[in-house]
Amino acid sequence: MEPRKSIGVTRESSPGLPRPGAALKAFRLRFDPTTYGSTIVLVVGIILTSIFSPAFLTLSNISNLLTQIAVLGIVTMGQTIVLVSAGIDLSVGSNAALSGVVCGLMFQAGIPLWAGCIAALACATVIGLINGLLISWRRVEPFIITLGMMTLLEGIAELITGGSPINDMGALATTLGGTIPVVNVPVSILILFIMVILTWAFLRWTPLGRNAYAIGGNEEASFLSGVSIKRTKIYLYTLAGLVAGIGALVLSGILNAAEANIGVGLELQSIAAAVIGGTLLFGGRGGAWRSLQGVLLLGFVSNALNLLSVGANYQNIALGIIVIIAVLVQKTR
Amino acid sequence: MALLEVEEINKYFPGVQALRNVSLGVEAGEVHALVGENGAGKSTLVKIISGAYRPDSGRIIFDGVTFDEFSPAYATAHGISVVHQRQQLVPWLSVEENILLGKQPRRLGVVVDMRARRRLARELLAQMHLEINPATPVAQLSPVEQQEVVIAKALYQKARLLILDEPTAALGPAQIERLFELIRELCSQGVSVLYISHHLEEIFQLAQSLTVLRDGVVVTTRPVQELTQGEVVDMMAGHHVTVARDVPEDALTPAAGRPLEEAASLLELRGLSAGPVLREIDLSVPAGQVVGVTGIVGAGGHDLALTLFGLMEPFAGECRLRGKAYTPRGPQQAIEQGIFLVPENPGRDGLVGLMSVAQNMTIVDLPAITRAGILQLKEEARVARSYVSSLHIATPTIEREVRALSGGNQQKVLLAKALQAKAQVLILEEPTQGVDVNAKEEIHRIIRELAAGGKAVLVISTDIRDLLQFTDRMLVLRKGRIVADIPTIEGNYTKILNLTLGTEDVSWSQEKA
Repeated sequence: MEPRKSIGVTRESSPGLPRPGAALKAFRLRFDPTTYGSTIVLVVGIILTSIFSPAFLTLSNISNLLTQIAVLGIVTMGQTIVLVSAGIDLSVGSNAALSGVVCGLMFQAGIPLWAGCIAALACATVIGLINGLLISWRRVEPFIITLGMMTLLEGIAELITGGSPINDMGALATTLGGTIPVVNVPVSILILFIMVILTWAFLRWTPLGRNAYAIGGNEEASFLSGVSIKRTKIYLYTLAGLVAGIGALVLSGILNAAEANIGVGLELQSIAAAVIGGTLLFGGRGGAWRSLQGVLLLGFVSNALNLLSVGANYQNIALGIIVIIAVLVQKTR
Repeated sequence: MALLEVEEINKYFPGVQALRNVSLGVEAGEVHALVGENGAGKSTLVKIISGAYRPDSGRIIFDGVTFDEFSPAYATAHGISVVHQRQQLVPWLSVEENILLGKQPRRLGVVVDMRARRRLARELLAQMHLEINPATPVAQLSPVEQQEVVIAKALYQKARLLILDEPTAALGPAQIERLFELIRELCSQGVSVLYISHHLEEIFQLAQSLTVLRDGVVVTTRPVQELTQGEVVDMMAGHHVTVARDVPEDALTPAAGRPLEEAASLLELRGLSAGPVLREIDLSVPAGQVVGVTGIVGAGGHDLALTLFGLMEPFAGECRLRGKAYTPRGPQQAIEQGIFLVPENPGRDGLVGLMSVAQNMTIVDLPAITRAGILQLKEEARVARSYVSSLHIATPTIEREVRALSGGNQQKVLLAKALQAKAQVLILEEPTQGVDVNAKEEIHRIIRELAAGGKAVLVISTDIRDLLQFTDRMLVLRKGRIVADIPTIEGNYTKILNLTLGTEDVSWSQEKA
């Protein structure tokens, strides 16, 4: 990234009339499409959809929409942490599937559910740790390492389940998969909300979160500033793993099931959501709220297209176009 | 009629007339040397000749053809080829594939004709009297062999003028001789060479004619045998200064003028050797002193910075910081122990462009603004504001992304970082490169203030004039060794330039004669 000339305070800027185009330039500078683009699309879309489909702005539909995106949202938070550091984690989907399966198998074997849940989180965290160790050991490409890990984990999950689903997650279905009494809000939405707050706080208020931005923005400069690149990366991938594990438990609760191929597509959707929200694929910029916007936009589009009775094939086309536009908008900045 | 005629070339960049009425001619089969200080306009001229820049006025005539287009493809098609180091080669491809890349002989217009390719490569290498196996991957070749392959590639594309820019920088003495043999052989076959180098002895060994550029103007262009090395240095420097008489002879012994007993030295090197060039460095830097380290590119200044910052491991000698052995294993340890490096290109290596001014200042020591694991953002803002005001950093807010600042202000953000790191020894590489005059003066002042505040500052730069304006002492490196350690005296410019170029003996003897 080339350093640009100072825009605000230059000695040669005359105090008289503003140069033509200067105002526009200043506006462009403040108006960052990677920040507001998805918000505007979302708001305009919501207005249009509620005009064309009265079923859209109903409590049950909104609640339905949010439940559908809860797991994606949670996993995207972990993905965001890694993306900010200019990394990527393609293994979050199969990590979530395997962790869910671990919990389900233990429950099936008569082990208490709480122990199964802890085992699932531990499994997800260790997988993240292994990702981090492999990536920081000799600076290999995270894309390839986590791609390999994705395939590996899928294989393990298939192996230990024998390919058949686990169709009873016991109390998980009524707790994480249930609703909060009285207010009648799905628990999964509450957990998503908590995860967004935690991720936001982590990136903003902790040294590790700050180092993630530094490494993502300029790894060389961070290294020369004394930031421990290896340790930071190991922590970040470990966290992404843990978050995937939390997503796995929520998913198992909502579906009251665990299955080896349940996380397929989650990795790409989480990356797409983060990018649509304005988290840069090449690092250094992004955050929890932006990524949440991306998740909401993805969820909204598929919900709206459903309500407007657009076929599933068209939905994929629409989602693909949104991802491409989001990346193009980022590149033109 | 010369092969290459450069006529009255002018090139203006915002703020500087890079070339003014530059004319020169390169005859067929000769080596024509181009010399001048950094910033004299050599690279601008080369970029015009090779089509990377369009001149504002003037003409390039090559083999009777006046260039009406300025693009690298056009220049190459007419037979002008710039030989950069290595970057033109694909390391995992073989010698023959590299030589014929982009112009492979084909069978039926589709399939690469491997046999023809091998034959063509063999013929070309034989014509150059080179014994390189055409099937070897380029990555396995020595630096000089790689350079030979680049030249072979240029010749395959029918180059008749080769532009060599500091071709010996990465080569040892035997390899240099080998390269020179190839150049002489090519010249005997009618190829011309425009040779850019700081090494005057090489030029006097190799070139038939020479052009000296200074501040974008041709000072002279004539046969080498009419000149001496001393005259060339004087022409590069611009004025004839007989410094040897201004400075007492004993001032030329290491660290004279300021005896070591005067101030306890913060940083002390004894016989330090590291990397390919740096050899037996003795140096002591007391608190409060600004020491300039100069030398031509590759003389070892950069390696010295890397070694002190823990990025290069010394294999001999010792290094002491505040009297204790200092062996950093990386930037983290160096910073912890009180040494901070401000790298040459702040935008690229020193700062995180997407992060704010404040965040860039504190990243070097986050624990200082962390309480119970939480970053204290108010404390961070306070720290950043105090640096912005004390260093006069021109930024509307401390939230501004650092990439939006000018070069001079970015440099100041880096200095703030050094302060925040509580460094006692600062190493600055080319701190005033690419900043405007006002910012330059301010950076000089800040560096002086840092020293006055008890820090030791080592400024590594190729810009001798700049160093003379604010250092206490000048250290001259040549081929990795310290050749002089002298107090800074304004008029020392020519003397120091001579020392960096290794022409001091010639110049002195002439002055005395």
